Amino acid sequence: MGHPRVDAIVREARDAAAAAQSSAELERIRVGVLGRQGELTQLLRSLGTLAPEERPLVGAAANEAKRALETLLDAKLATMLEAERQAERRRTRLDLTLPGRRPPQGSLHPLTRVHDEIVAVFAGLGFSVAEGPEIESDYYNFEALNIPRDHPARDMQDTLYVGESTLLRTHTSPVQIRTMLAQKPPLRVIVPGKVYRRDVADATHSPMFHQVEGLAVDRAITMADLKGTLELFAREMFGPRSKIRFRPSFFPFTEPSAEVDVLCFVCGGAGCRLCKQGGWLEILGSGMVHPQVLRNVGYDPEEVTGWAFGMGIERIAMLKYGIDDLRLFFDNDLRFLRQFA
Amino acid sequence: MKILYGWVREFVDLRLTAQQAADRLVNAGIEVASVTALAPDCKGVVVGEIEAIERELGASHGHRLLLCRVRTGRERYAVVCGAPNTKVGVRAAFAPPGAVLPGGRRIAAAKIHGVESQGMLCSERELGIGEEHDAGILLLDGARPGADLVATLGLDDHVLDVEITPNRPDCLSIVGIARELSALTGARFRPPAVALKESGEPARALARVAIEAPDLCHRFTARVVSGVTIGPSPAWLQARLRAVGLRPISNVVDATNYVLWELGQPLHAYDHATVADGTIVVRRAREAERFTTLDGQERQLDASMLVIADPRRAIGLAGVMGGANTEVTEKTTRVLLESAWFAPASIRRTSRALGLRTDAAYRFERGADIETLVTASARAAALIAELAGGTIARGLVDAYPRKRAPRPIRLRMSRVKRILGVAPPVAQARKILAGLGLTVKARGAELAVTIPSFRRDLSMEDDLVEEIIRVWGYDRIPSTLPGGTIALVTHPAALGQAQSVRRVLVGVGLAEVVTHTFSDPARTSLFRRPSDRPPVELLNPLAQDASWLRSNPLEGVLAAVATNVRRQQPDVRIFELCKTYARADETGEPTQPGSTGKSNVSEPARTSLRPPSNQAGLTAPATTEPRWLAIALTGARGEPGWSGGRDRVDVYDAKGLAEHALEALGLRAGSGSGGALGGFEPDCHGALTGEGGVILGEFGEVAAALREQLGIPAPVFAAVVSLDAAGAGPAAPIRYQALPRFPVVERDLAFVLGGDRPPTAAQVESAIREAAGSLLRRVVLFDVFRFPDGRSSLAWRLLFQAEDRTLTDDEVNAIQERIVRRVTETFPITLRSG
Repeated sequence: MGHPRVDAIVREARDAAAAAQSSAELERIRVGVLGRQGELTQLLRSLGTLAPEERPLVGAAANEAKRALETLLDAKLATMLEAERQAERRRTRLDLTLPGRRPPQGSLHPLTRVHDEIVAVFAGLGFSVAEGPEIESDYYNFEALNIPRDHPARDMQDTLYVGESTLLRTHTSPVQIRTMLAQKPPLRVIVPGKVYRRDVADATHSPMFHQVEGLAVDRAITMADLKGTLELFAREMFGPRSKIRFRPSFFPFTEPSAEVDVLCFVCGGAGCRLCKQGGWLEILGSGMVHPQVLRNVGYDPEEVTGWAFGMGIERIAMLKYGIDDLRLFFDNDLRFLRQFA
Repeated sequence: MKILYGWVREFVDLRLTAQQAADRLVNAGIEVASVTALAPDCKGVVVGEIEAIERELGASHGHRLLLCRVRTGRERYAVVCGAPNTKVGVRAAFAPPGAVLPGGRRIAAAKIHGVESQGMLCSERELGIGEEHDAGILLLDGARPGADLVATLGLDDHVLDVEITPNRPDCLSIVGIARELSALTGARFRPPAVALKESGEPARALARVAIEAPDLCHRFTARVVSGVTIGPSPAWLQARLRAVGLRPISNVVDATNYVLWELGQPLHAYDHATVADGTIVVRRAREAERFTTLDGQERQLDASMLVIADPRRAIGLAGVMGGANTEVTEKTTRVLLESAWFAPASIRRTSRALGLRTDAAYRFERGADIETLVTASARAAALIAELAGGTIARGLVDAYPRKRAPRPIRLRMSRVKRILGVAPPVAQARKILAGLGLTVKARGAELAVTIPSFRRDLSMEDDLVEEIIRVWGYDRIPSTLPGGTIALVTHPAALGQAQSVRRVLVGVGLAEVVTHTFSDPARTSLFRRPSDRPPVELLNPLAQDASWLRSNPLEGVLAAVATNVRRQQPDVRIFELCKTYARADETGEPTQPGSTGKSNVSEPARTSLRPPSNQAGLTAPATTEPRWLAIALTGARGEPGWSGGRDRVDVYDAKGLAEHALEALGLRAGSGSGGALGGFEPDCHGALTGEGGVILGEFGEVAAALREQLGIPAPVFAAVVSLDAAGAGPAAPIRYQALPRFPVVERDLAFVLGGDRPPTAAQVESAIREAAGSLLRRVVLFDVFRFPDGRSSLAWRLLFQAEDRTLTDDEVNAIQERIVRRVTETFPITLRSG
């Protein structure tokens, strides 16, 4: 079909390529045929020396052979290179079971996690965060909340005093008073913060712990709204199937008052160790803001009603994470903290 | 308070088990901590009468062993007994063969001193119903021989441990609980009936009462019982008292305690013979008056306290404890019985001031029932006459200067609905309130409710709303969400600040800690500088080592480092967002570590402890609670592993983390030297400054003395950031800058610093910047090398770039020369060649 010389060059090159063992060898073959001094190049360059009638024939055959060989060698080279890369990779293969190089892992304190969750749930319900001082006056911590001096209700919270009428707040409730004095209804706030009691530290007590207070005051706000809000909170916090129950209780600054229990999420109410066979877990105290408290801040209890609740962040965290000793939160053992990374 | 369920049922027709009753109480707001069966763990023990003592068998453990004949109904047993109170004719607890004592101890006939003993006479302790043992066998006077012991003592019963909230003193009694259960279940309530047989002289001839302090004692009554014989109470009464946690003393005292528990009214019995002229004067104590209470303690009183006195001296501390001088003793034959009402706040103050918490004070400070005290007096007098013999003088001496005037409360059903979101029909509401013992008149959708004397807690409309829903059931409150307008949710800037800092520090591998704010004065001294103002001290700390509040932000993180190092975790990288606490001084300047003279930190949240103007007079020292970020690092820089991580942290880690946190808050800090906080090594302590030289933070190596005291062997590096200072300025808005379009030219310059007072890196760098002008875009210190002779080489990489053209080598060379000239002329340092 072509030209005997061209065919011979092509055949030789094909054979050589088929026998080549490396990309370098293929490259040598390519240079030997198609390079500047290559046989085919030489042949094309020497066309002028051929007889005029032969020139087009040989030329066409040589050009075609050049294209064919180029295609062939490129393909062969690509295959060969890939095979060689694979071989190189196999040779230097990494042990991928070595541990990954990880940046050091930080961790948020579990109380911060729970705090943030609580704040997020209530922010979604239109509650803004308010804050207040930890060193409080007797007035805001007790008197304004309907807990007069020489009243047995003071026994409910053993107090650490800083001065005669200055103390470490025993609950976040004084911020209710501060907020109501500073703002006009309607208002919805939550108040996270540290609180203090004169309690010796043990598995369930701590002289310092954290609370979140909630307060809503408006023209027509009812205990049913309190229940609905807390039910929603419980579902966000403890899972969509959570149920709550209200139990009558007594707090001097709410009337009516209610303790709130959540259905034990370990046993579903059947009774287990966590809920001490009771089926319910106490999570917070709440109630309708006492009319006297409203009057103390200059609100008219005939005009507005309100409710408030207060929960211990440690309590919620202990239930949520299954922590059985309150002291762990303040020990700050890294083996504990890292579990909340 | 412990109550006996069988006792409760004497006053209400209940068909519930003790546990069911407890559940009803819990649902109505009365906590029941426990329900326990009272019956001791013994079977087959009966009442046995010692008919005869046959003979003495010898001695054992210092007691004569006696062979007794014991009768139980028709049976007769030969029983060996060594108890000191073994006497012919007494009836006592007897375990015949086959009976089982606590611990599964089965009684069988056994040989003692060669004689077969057919069973055993038992002490309280052996029966598991008390602690008494040395006094001998449990005597059961008046009990029927052969009767079951448990039934005889009323021990087939349950004890409910109820927790009564301070607003419900009416429930601090058996009858109160019975009334509550009646209201909750509809079961019939039977108020206690007293069969009082009075005779002889009128009481007013034997006792007179004068109340000189009618503000503190609204009512005082006296009865007299004559001809009593003091002795022990019968076994059933002792068993009841013990079951509720009271110690039997004598028939007269036990009678008053029994009535206290049953009706909630504290009573006191005086030996009438010791009360001068039989005359009671209720008066304030005299300043520094000395008085010995029943417990034998001499106490010093003051004029705020109320005493019961006779014309000569104090004979009782009103509402708290009686006096030793008028105590009922074995010689007492005539008793003067007090039943009175005292002002709660006064009782509470006295009881607390003297550290004397008694059952009486507990009830009076919550509020006793000014009407029931008459019933209680009659009930106790009758019981004393029954238990101790004697006759009750005719009439009650009753001083009642301030009669209670009940005021009806208006209850609108519309208010019920407004508060609860739901309301029962008016008839139901009426029934509920009537069931609680209130007097109710309906006027359409309103009720007029008159409150009985035992419910002092009900004083306004909303109190009645709670009573209605408490009985009707809290589970009837529906769940709804509040309507109305919602204002824009806004959080304090501090919250966002804290969240930003936490995010970046957790992101770079630090663990957040939360520590106690209390601090140990002994330790705190190492954290403090002499110039620091006094810390906030607690007046009533739990412990001396927790009697101050933290005044240095490092206290918590260092404590946490110490804890971990002690627990074999030497690599600690932690942070805390915390407060310190300080008193503001006279000038109102906030006292805070870290604030320096030149600081223009906007004032950290200063607390006004002043109540609103209508509460003037209750002022308190102003305090500040500055907020901080505290960081502490020790040990390895990263997680040690196969590819490194064994590098140790150093002071630049602490500094860099503080800078990192500041940057998260939108702040770039410059380096300043020194700082104001205590706790650092003086020569490794730097400051981070913001605009105008404000100290934003400090960092350094923790003083070796301090960490050694904390038991930390390795160096600790720490940093703090004042979040108040960092949050003081307006947040810098983010502004986009166009990306450079022309290439960067890089040059490296190294200088050798030596001599006595070499410049700091920051000084050299600022000289470089000044000399370079605006074409210098970045300066990076990329190498620091210390020669053995103490000199050091610092190498900077300088990046030049113009906004409008490609810089030429000539231009950059000229700038570089200017820099080198400036630096070497300004400081005694040389350019490092090569």
